Amino acid sequence: MASGRPLLRSRGPGWRQTGQEPDYRFTLANERTFLAWIRSALALMAGGVVLAQFATHLSPRWLVTGTAVALTGLSGPMAVLAWRQWRANEIAMRHGRPLPASRGAVLLAVCVGIVATVLAASQWPG
Amino acid sequence: MNSPDPGLQAERTALAWSRTALAVLANALLIARAGMASQRTELLVFGLLLLCAAGATQAFSAWRRVVLNQASGAARAPAAALLSLALLAAAGSVAAIGAILLEREVSAQAADRKHVEGERIL
Repeated sequence: MASGRPLLRSRGPGWRQTGQEPDYRFTLANERTFLAWIRSALALMAGGVVLAQFATHLSPRWLVTGTAVALTGLSGPMAVLAWRQWRANEIAMRHGRPLPASRGAVLLAVCVGIVATVLAASQWPG
Repeated sequence: MNSPDPGLQAERTALAWSRTALAVLANALLIARAGMASQRTELLVFGLLLLCAAGATQAFSAWRRVVLNQASGAARAPAAALLSLALLAAAGSVAAIGAILLEREVSAQAADRKHVEGERIL
């Protein structure tokens, strides 16, 4: 279990005591990736609220509200997934394993594409 | 990533936290506004809480910059800070859904009232 390195400054969770401390640049890059995902979740959240409350000229209302709730609802799981991905990456780096696949980016792109299509179609005249 | 200068890594990481604080701030204002518009104190209070969280995140960004500059980029963020941020965002998404549905309720009621008043005038 002990990695043989000097005493760490902060103890933190158990999984952080195992394996080797990775190159700090990878750790920081992982941290920034986590923050980028959180910002994406926060953007989805804000987007949903703005769509529902400020795009009052769009119709039908049930579709707009539904899309807004869907966007906002996606942001919660995205934030949780961001944490899990960060943690899995840290553990993989500590044990010299390849980073686990992140399918979140594809999911996000698909969802945004669907929402954009739905909103554009709802504005089609006639 | 391939930069030999640890100072650049410190700056990029601190900036990432700073941008996140800005995103939290935007959502805090949106939820607080929704709370005021729909007259719901829970939403307003949560919005103000998010406002404090945005400040805390910005302060964390500054702290991170200091720590990283001192340790030549070798310091890692406490896991608790990242977990707190993720949980905060998750809680925020629930509040935001509440804000969307509650304000819709309020505007529907306002539309009904206008309709009734319109009929009375006629």
